[in-house]
Amino acid sequence: MSLKKFNPNDILLNTIKAHPSSEFFIFDSTVYYNNRPELSGAYSAQVLNVPPGFISLFEYNIDRGTTENTHIYPFIEKDSARASFKTTAASSSEAGVGWDLNEWQKTGAGERLYGSYPLSASITRYYIPTPSGSNPTGEIEYSQIDQKYYALKNRLNFYGALSEHYKVTSSYGNKDEQVLNMISIPSIFYGKNIQTGSVSLKWYFTGSLVGELRDLKQNGELIQVSGAVGDGGSTYDNEVAGVVLYNEGIILLTGSWALNGTSIPLESDGTTSQPKWVYFGAGAQDGVSVLNAGANFCSASFDLSFRGTSETEVITMFAHARRGEVNYSNNPTFLSYGQDKFTLTSSAVYEENANRTVFNTVSSSFMNQSASFEKQVYISQVGIYDEHKNLIGVVSLADPVLKKERDNYTFKIRLDV
Amino acid sequence: MPRVQTEPLSPTDITTTRTLLHEAIPLTGAILSGTYTEGGGGSPFYGSNVKNYTHGQFQSVYDYPYLSSSANHIMDLTFGYDESSTSSGSTSVLNAKKINNYNLMSQVLLGYTGSENITEIFESDLNYADNNNQMKECFFFNFSRLITKDEIRPGNFSLTLGTGSYAAPWGAGGADIGKYFPLGPLLKLQDFSASAASNTGLMDTVGGKAGVLYISGTNGATGIGGTGSYAGLVFYQAGIAVLTASLFTNVTDMLPTSLTDGGGNQNVKALMTGSSISGACDAIRHRIYDLSFNNTTAINSQIIFCRAPHNKFNYSANPTYLSGSKVRVKNISSDSPRAYITTVGLYSSDNQLMAVAKLSEPLMKDPSNELTIRVRLDY
Repeated sequence: MSLKKFNPNDILLNTIKAHPSSEFFIFDSTVYYNNRPELSGAYSAQVLNVPPGFISLFEYNIDRGTTENTHIYPFIEKDSARASFKTTAASSSEAGVGWDLNEWQKTGAGERLYGSYPLSASITRYYIPTPSGSNPTGEIEYSQIDQKYYALKNRLNFYGALSEHYKVTSSYGNKDEQVLNMISIPSIFYGKNIQTGSVSLKWYFTGSLVGELRDLKQNGELIQVSGAVGDGGSTYDNEVAGVVLYNEGIILLTGSWALNGTSIPLESDGTTSQPKWVYFGAGAQDGVSVLNAGANFCSASFDLSFRGTSETEVITMFAHARRGEVNYSNNPTFLSYGQDKFTLTSSAVYEENANRTVFNTVSSSFMNQSASFEKQVYISQVGIYDEHKNLIGVVSLADPVLKKERDNYTFKIRLDV
Repeated sequence: MPRVQTEPLSPTDITTTRTLLHEAIPLTGAILSGTYTEGGGGSPFYGSNVKNYTHGQFQSVYDYPYLSSSANHIMDLTFGYDESSTSSGSTSVLNAKKINNYNLMSQVLLGYTGSENITEIFESDLNYADNNNQMKECFFFNFSRLITKDEIRPGNFSLTLGTGSYAAPWGAGGADIGKYFPLGPLLKLQDFSASAASNTGLMDTVGGKAGVLYISGTNGATGIGGTGSYAGLVFYQAGIAVLTASLFTNVTDMLPTSLTDGGGNQNVKALMTGSSISGACDAIRHRIYDLSFNNTTAINSQIIFCRAPHNKFNYSANPTYLSGSKVRVKNISSDSPRAYITTVGLYSSDNQLMAVAKLSEPLMKDPSNELTIRVRLDY
């Protein structure tokens, strides 16, 4: 094995920035992610064991059931490291204790703490009719304050530098008093942030597009670009119907104008309304369905698409096998078979056989004729060592590379971290 | 995050720990053979979740039809024998490849013998000095790293095989299902290394730590150390199980009727000499009733004890801390200073913010108390 030190110019650090696209289509209380159809398996109703529109974190339990071909599940044993799963079973009262104990407290040292797969995520819509909790008389009921919205108020005002439309209170209205439609996108779908200028929301009514929002200015404003002509929807083209919080994965819609003149049920209590942006995404894990809203709820469908941003650090290393170097192998088969390893051993002497020959691997052009011996090796792997000479990585070549003494080779090694 | 002040960490404030995360991996035999169009798709012997290759040296098994992007690779199966095996011979089908398979596995897992360039022969008793219990004809289960993770957990590997006929490997008409050897056709192989006395059945090899697979009797752990109870090996770090083909010596039809060695034989000898490697893999896969093990992932953690002394961290630079030039959380001016800690920032020696730890709820801090916040960083 030859050990060579990398020169500073042999190691490059780069960042690959990618923009994976995501598309959600929402229809009849079902979310479809990137046009993936529902797929039933032999043991489970859904092959991935998550509902459509959800992403399964590890995609472990493929077509596994509860009684047969059962799930893979994780567990740890409770010890002094105090590690536990992030989500534990709910608290429950313990006889003779007097207060509730959670799973961690109930488990003894050495006993198992269990988790479960699949871990899943999908978009969720929150319809917020009274963000500030104010009742019709104008009084604020603190118990009715929408905490999700309140948690975002600082961020909304922070992004006010990008657009006035972000601000809680501006010339465009007071979000505390507006009907809000919040769509939450888990970061697993977009990575670092949503790419500016990539967001598109489409409102379909009985299959026809009645309005589309895009962040044309790349400043978070969602601007209507194609309202349905003839139904009054196009009157509001170029109007801002909401904002996108790119880093937080939140879309906040306030547009309350009608996209066409036909009313359909769009709330879980059956309340009917004309299509509006504040109803965009109805049915996305928000409890609205045909069962509680009404049959015509099916007339609405929605499409949400965007691109995320992922950054991958890449280390590129150039490993050189220069002329006259890396010409020997420690592989036992490198030497001819059947030779003595040593010529003399005793309690005082160990003398290696100095006349051992290297096996000639040079291919002859003629049958039954050996080629002249030439020193050559076949390089099949490159090992990466740290400064303490610990092997920390191995690169395997698809095919061994023949290296003769006169050859110069450089192996380009790429490592995504 | 408004920065208030920093407190240097002493060496005793930082320690490391390791947590072992395990996963229980159950693999029902029905997935390995039978669920996905077994008997259809143009081949009667493997389903759409089993992939064979033109090189014919091993076959891959997935948990779902492998043409689906959802499918996960479960394991690769192969078969081989040592060149000193009685099955080895020029007339045996794929003789060289079977020998190469065996040598490859033994080279990677066991290494070479003494001073010769000859690979070691697998021994089910892990005692390589006596050359007893040699396994010269072996099935190899090479599990995917996806399911073995860092290693298979010692003491939990279990494999149940049917030793009945080819048509009904675990008993006729289901009557024998649940009956284990020696009372029934099911053969349960278990790794008892976790409970074995003085590390019996555990050995460090070139391929990592290895344990013995014992034939378990009707009531479970009766096979430890018993003569003839050895059935194979499991290499924990390599994620490979090695099974001796001699387990099936008494099985008359390892192969289906349509596949014989040319002389009409269907037994395991016919399988070893007259069957392709993929055919041998199909035969063993067809007899897997149940397979389960636990894997292990080591999670290394750094524990940092962040201390807030009584006279520090009692003030905040948060813009909302002051209201009308008065501290918001004080009622009267003579109240002691008070802050609510929500976040701990970890800074490098050159004052670069490296990481942020969030508390689930703010902690009240005033000069009357001291806090030590335990921050754990997993990697």
